Amino acid sequence: MTSVTSSTSVPTHSDGTGPAAAFAEPPLRAEGLTLAYDKTVVVEDLTVSVPRESFTVIIGPNGCGKSTLLRALARTMAPRSGRVLLDGEPITALRTKQVAKRIALLPQSPIAPEAITVGDLVARGRYPHQGLLRQWSPADEVAVRDALDATEVAGLRERLVSELSGGQRQRVWLAMALAQQTDLLLLDEPTTFLDIAHQLEVMDLCAHLHEQGRTLVAVLHDINQAARYATHLIAMKGGAVVAEGAPQDVITAERMADVFGLACRVVPDPETGTPMVVPARRGGHIRHG
Amino acid sequence: MTATLTRPPAPSGGHVPVLRLGALGTLHWRRRAVLVCLAMLAVGLIASLLTVTVGELGIPLRELPDVLAGNGSRAQEWVLRTNRLPRLLVGALAGAAFGVAGAIFQSVTRNPLGSPDVIGLGAGAAAGAAAAALVWPGVVPVAVGALIGAGVAIGAVYVGSGRGFAAPYRMVVTGIAVGAMALAFVQLALARATHEDAFAMSAWLNGSLASRRWSDVTLMAVALLVLIPLALMLTRRLQLVEMGDDAATGLGVDPTRTRNLAVGVAVLLTAAAVTVSGPVAFVALTSPQIARRLTRSTGPGMVAAACTGATVLVVADLIAQRLPFGVQYPVGVVTAALGGVYLAILLIREWRRGAV
Amino acid sequence: MTVVDRTAARAPHVTDVRGSRTRAWRLGAGLVGAVALLVLVTGLSIAVGSKSVPLAEVWQVLRFPDDSYASAVVDSRIPRTLLGLLVGAALAVAGAVIQGITRNPLGDPGLLGVNSGAAASVVIVTALAGVGAGRTVWAAIPGAVLAAVAVYAIGASGRGPTAVRLILAGAAVSAVLVALVEAISLANPEVFDSYRYWVVGSLAGRPLTAVDEVLPVIAVALLIALLLSRALNALALGDEAATSLGLRAGHTRLLGGAVATVLTAASVAAVGPIAFVGLAVPHVVRGFTGSDHRWLLPFCVALGPVLLLGADILGRVIARPGEIMVGAVTAFLGAPFLIAAVRRRGAAL
Repeated sequence: MTSVTSSTSVPTHSDGTGPAAAFAEPPLRAEGLTLAYDKTVVVEDLTVSVPRESFTVIIGPNGCGKSTLLRALARTMAPRSGRVLLDGEPITALRTKQVAKRIALLPQSPIAPEAITVGDLVARGRYPHQGLLRQWSPADEVAVRDALDATEVAGLRERLVSELSGGQRQRVWLAMALAQQTDLLLLDEPTTFLDIAHQLEVMDLCAHLHEQGRTLVAVLHDINQAARYATHLIAMKGGAVVAEGAPQDVITAERMADVFGLACRVVPDPETGTPMVVPARRGGHIRHG
Repeated sequence: MTATLTRPPAPSGGHVPVLRLGALGTLHWRRRAVLVCLAMLAVGLIASLLTVTVGELGIPLRELPDVLAGNGSRAQEWVLRTNRLPRLLVGALAGAAFGVAGAIFQSVTRNPLGSPDVIGLGAGAAAGAAAAALVWPGVVPVAVGALIGAGVAIGAVYVGSGRGFAAPYRMVVTGIAVGAMALAFVQLALARATHEDAFAMSAWLNGSLASRRWSDVTLMAVALLVLIPLALMLTRRLQLVEMGDDAATGLGVDPTRTRNLAVGVAVLLTAAAVTVSGPVAFVALTSPQIARRLTRSTGPGMVAAACTGATVLVVADLIAQRLPFGVQYPVGVVTAALGGVYLAILLIREWRRGAV
Repeated sequence: MTVVDRTAARAPHVTDVRGSRTRAWRLGAGLVGAVALLVLVTGLSIAVGSKSVPLAEVWQVLRFPDDSYASAVVDSRIPRTLLGLLVGAALAVAGAVIQGITRNPLGDPGLLGVNSGAAASVVIVTALAGVGAGRTVWAAIPGAVLAAVAVYAIGASGRGPTAVRLILAGAAVSAVLVALVEAISLANPEVFDSYRYWVVGSLAGRPLTAVDEVLPVIAVALLIALLLSRALNALALGDEAATSLGLRAGHTRLLGGAVATVLTAASVAAVGPIAFVGLAVPHVVRGFTGSDHRWLLPFCVALGPVLLLGADILGRVIARPGEIMVGAVTAFLGAPFLIAAVRRRGAAL
């Protein structure tokens, strides 16, 4: 397993603060994580870090636990054992509203309430910053406006979410996550169910958000998209991390055969130079045995 | 501290109306919802006036202010203070309680059919009350019996449906089954009681506002004073939970705790209302739906549901008292008939739309 | 064997002749066993109660009736036992037929509003023409038919009647009908009294003449239902497949619906509305016989009364010296059964 990890052994203060710690500590880290649904254990004793200001993408075959891992990192799923550290502190030690000011999540199948407008939905993203008597402030207004502008849906503000196309709707959910004004953005399969043009729209937007200094963690199905956009890849199989590092290092023909059972060639993408997976002709499927 | 209505500057066209309470903070409000509530209250007021003034014992409108001030005849005083006014107030307060309980349940189950009267909560409360009044009289007061019955029913539905509030259709079918059991229990209790007991109880078991006393008004007022603020505080969290557990958690809301708290409030509201009025069918189902459609809101509108529930029950009671069949009917008969029709229309419309 | 909604019925000719013969023997033996069980439960129904009579003496008294105390007790229990036999068979078969024509394993006359409809028209006729006229089959039928039609019409809107939709439609229609019944009974104290004893559903207190009234109706309806077996088998394959096999799906549904409604109306008229027998018995039987109505219906005829009489006996034993009416017992037993059945259907809901 080749790996280029970014966690270091620089000593930090016990509460994870301090200038040295701020740069050494990964913003999000899983330690010895075991995750299960009822009786089925999906992930066992997994340890992985998310590098600061990276665009991390988790890839792997169906059922490998990538969405489960993301949910645990976002604390929407409680681990059987192990812990998740947010800037060095256990995430369970923080109140969930505090966490919401530092992590924003774009879930896999969010439910848009009936008859809600784009503006109202994005405004809901301000909840972590509001209180019982502090239900709306100029800061909220600014945040919503910035989120709408960043995702280029400002012109749709008064439209009903249910009337939008798939790509527009996804951008609106992304705007809601942006309205939370967090440094960490977690995205669970943001491009599934979108057609190719919209997929790239969303990924370009994510790249832009990353360039502005945020740390992104996304679960993607499409290996080539992952290779194009990610600065750090985590490849999973059977509930464990089999490789992590820069796309050039993680995406090799042997690794794709190992993780996905895919016979392929890896060539540089003619547009971007990142690794591109070209599956072998039919009949070349590798059988494990 | 002055309360001023201001709109923050909106260069890009967005605006959110807020009520500034000076140093205390700001409250988000919706104009349409406020208008609908006022309209509902107006209708309710008209129905209330009609209730007090029509009929053989009615107090003519021009004499009403005098009677209210205490200057009417003895008979009029009795009609107003002992007969009609408590009944009216209980109807309004119980209706409000049903409305809010329905709004909470429909929000938690994300389904209009997840209403306490459809999932057997009302029937359970009635069975508990029947047990306390007829089967084991004197052991516990009827109100406590109703609460226990409601708690047992909701527990049975939660456990029986296997996935709790996450599976509304299962909850409904389980609720129908639990309701059938509760109903059988009630029918059994009625069949074994004396004729007078059975007759008196059966009106209540349908949902009746007859012979309500001021103690009932007090009970409801206290219950609402405690529980409605709780419901209001949970509104925003419930709105976020409606978007899915993951989305809600991502925004800093604990969905399970919110649901459990909200359901607890709804069960208490239902039990209190059932204690004073019996299990009035379908008010909890229809009022939040009507309120939601009128206000075009996107979350559980507690205040609108409360106003609508109060108005619905007061109007239904007016109809029940003034039906031209010579007998005063329990209000539950009217709400069951109208509510059943409304439910059928709701089902047809939802299914035609393609929603499962 | 689990019950699957759109299961293909076993074709009349099975390729493995040996297998089908073994199966026929097995089912035949099962049917004999069911009938034996029925005879036993019938005997118990006459023997057991607040004053129990030993089975041997029951047989003696039935053959040679005399003026002894035992004879009087046995005599008093004969009507309820006979009613239990008839109504148990009628309800079980009605449930099986409803489940067949709607392809809905959660079908039951009580859940689909038919009981409430029958009860409503019984109460209306009683209020207009007295208790005697009210408790006849002909009084119960119009309400039962109207309710069944209304429930099906509502449930069929949109994509079509699924199991849950029919139950929900049944709940809505029942609510309106029950309101109607309450309105009438609260206005008439005599109607109220006769109604509140009757609405629980009880085999007790009915004269032998009640049996005479419903026996021909139920017998004929059962016969028609048994003759519909093959058609119901074909219907289970889906309307299009059934039509391609030469079956007229609409006619079969109509006839089956009519039969089920008549069976239910007769039962309600005789003993009051009893729920869950139509749901539980076919469910359990299907686990043994599969969905072949040629075996399913006869087994229902044998085991429906077993459940109903068993519930009646239970009601007598538990609450000595009084009794819990059989309708309450079936509700208490049947509701958990429905809950379990719903849970087993899993993701379908």
